[in-house]
Amino acid sequence: MTNDQIPNQITVALAGQPNVGKSTVFNLLTGLSQRVGNWPGKTIEQKSGAYHHNGATVQIVDLPGTYSLTANSLEEQIARDYIIKEKPDVVVAIVNAAALERSLYLVAELLELSAPVVLGLNMTDVAEQQRMHIEPHVLEAALCLPVVPMVASKNQGMRELVEAVDRLASDPDSYDPCRPGIREDHQAVLAQLQQIIAGQAPEPYPQGWVALKLLEGDQEITRIMQERLSPEKWEQVHSILMEHEDAILAVAGARYEWIGRMVRAALVRPTFGQIILTDRVDRVATHPFWGLLALVGILGLVFWLTYAVGAPLQGLLDTYLVQAGAEGVRAALNGAPAWLVGLLADGVIGGAGMVVTFLPILVIFFAALGLLEDVGYMARAAYVMDRFMHLMGLHGKSFLPLFLGFGCNVPAVMGARVVEGQKARLLTILVAPLMPCTARMAVVAVLAPIFFGPYATLVAGGLVGLSLVMLAIIGIALHEFVLGGEHVAFIMELPLYHLPNPRTIGLSVWQRSVAFLKKSGSIILVVSVVVWALSVLPGGEIESSYLAAMGRLLAPLGSLMGLGWQMMVALLTSFVAKENTIATLGVLYSAGEEGARLAGALSGVLTPAAALAFLAMQMLFIPCVATVATIRQETASWRWTAFSVALLLVVSFAVGIAIYQGAMLVGWGV
Amino acid sequence: MLQRLLELVAEGGLRSYADLARELGVSEELVGQMIEGLARMGYLQPVAGDCQAQCTGCSMAGTCAVGGPTRVWMLAE
Repeated sequence: MTNDQIPNQITVALAGQPNVGKSTVFNLLTGLSQRVGNWPGKTIEQKSGAYHHNGATVQIVDLPGTYSLTANSLEEQIARDYIIKEKPDVVVAIVNAAALERSLYLVAELLELSAPVVLGLNMTDVAEQQRMHIEPHVLEAALCLPVVPMVASKNQGMRELVEAVDRLASDPDSYDPCRPGIREDHQAVLAQLQQIIAGQAPEPYPQGWVALKLLEGDQEITRIMQERLSPEKWEQVHSILMEHEDAILAVAGARYEWIGRMVRAALVRPTFGQIILTDRVDRVATHPFWGLLALVGILGLVFWLTYAVGAPLQGLLDTYLVQAGAEGVRAALNGAPAWLVGLLADGVIGGAGMVVTFLPILVIFFAALGLLEDVGYMARAAYVMDRFMHLMGLHGKSFLPLFLGFGCNVPAVMGARVVEGQKARLLTILVAPLMPCTARMAVVAVLAPIFFGPYATLVAGGLVGLSLVMLAIIGIALHEFVLGGEHVAFIMELPLYHLPNPRTIGLSVWQRSVAFLKKSGSIILVVSVVVWALSVLPGGEIESSYLAAMGRLLAPLGSLMGLGWQMMVALLTSFVAKENTIATLGVLYSAGEEGARLAGALSGVLTPAAALAFLAMQMLFIPCVATVATIRQETASWRWTAFSVALLLVVSFAVGIAIYQGAMLVGWGV
Repeated sequence: MLQRLLELVAEGGLRSYADLARELGVSEELVGQMIEGLARMGYLQPVAGDCQAQCTGCSMAGTCAVGGPTRVWMLAE
């Protein structure tokens, strides 16, 4: 219903995005006069009301909250149909001053319609809090329409808004907003379209707007015009649209350019605070060189902290939980069958219990990772890593799944789904197990201090580096021989840095620790018991056990790396779950030796050269069974799964042998 | 502006919102808006980091979300 002819009655439509305070403005303006119903023929609620000002009755219709007017949703369609068909005297557009870029797109579209617009610049207090300074007068001059700064939640600016509506309604001819332009080449196309549809646009749709919407590919307008135009004319329109398929980019792009101009003119961003801090820190943290250095430094610090604090705690738990527990069991079960005592003391406590002792190490590692995640650094780490991978020839989409591999290889293999192309996906899957996962890092975290004491951090860092270098070498090799160069692109949002939330970090540490303990209580417990059983059957002596027999088969291979059969068995059991290496060593080296700590028992067994070869193999060995199963699932091929396993077997043994034999040659650590 | 953004992305490699903002001479917020707009129009698509469902049973499932709520986009087909 139009009210142009009734001087004392004005119709106002209230438009805005969700969460900009539109409802508050509506409630303040209408008070008790609200009516709630549905939009005709729709299930969406319609609110309307009225107020009186200067002797006029002002009818207000609250349009549904929408981000744009493209008729993608029912809400958008209702809002734009109302403005076009009911022709309100004034449209009040409420925008969030603290999020101008987001809010102004809707305004840009409103300006393309003929109804005069008043801009309610709401939430200026929030903008001030965020230290954004907005000049309403400058914005008004740039937009060429009335701008009213307001804080609706505090009832500020409402009177000014009412007066601005009144002024515009009484002098609609003064309305001449500065609309978003459109690039010249597309202006010609637009004119061409207008010419073809001249006189054919249904009332009350403005012809220019219909042409613009056709160019934008608006489904509703396209449908309407296809029905109205003669087949010949539609054919003309259609061929123009086909020729300019990407015109939507020009039309929408012009709106964003317009928004950019408005914001640049009217908004002064803070010169300090979170955004500036992020910007400053990122100059280093995302720098191609310094960023990489910072990443290495931060990861080094994490490992150092993990060892410096975690290793002594692990030692304490070993003494007071595993050793004391095992002795307690022996004492309590005095007189019970020897196999039962052995099962509980050596199998359960010595194996699975040993794994539990490295919970402190994991808690510290998880906490450090959680902290880096929560302050927003991990996104930067991924960003920097990508550039690094680029250098290695492993650029593009593979980085994301591979980065997930730092946590666990399973999601890394699954994540390869984002990689396009069968071959590129396969390559990602094949190299993914070379990412040092947390479980492997945990094993290294326990064993490195035992073998290398004060040099543990250096060794662990070197092992991570070795894994990445092997990944690069194999990646480049596979890339060269299997794949051509591929062109891929990503955009990544780097969140603002912020103070860590202890609750979030605590929760993530808790969840990860509980999951780890569950695993210790299930799969690792079972493997520990099986390893123990195999180590005492059939005669009760390790040296004559089934396990020893199996291990001795591998002994010739192990001797190339200075490793006894026990170490080879420990490596093999890591196939079930990486932590089993610790459990197996716990069973094999602390069995029957009361009070002997794993650390003490192990430290004398290996030469440094053999220990380094063992840890390197541990890092590069075939991944856990879960990862292998995932590789089978994702490649849907036993052949590629076998290839992956064989590749890693060859690589890990080759590196292990090379390290040990190399050390022998130069006479180090023998 | 949108065309320029897509051209930059198509050059390849990884870009942050800040990189694009610098190259286009606009604010990061506007870059964010344009990326969302391009995604709505079907030119960009989010890269799914969703692997939680498949990670059940893995003790390290929690670390799956490395990088937290960070959004990553790539060119749509």
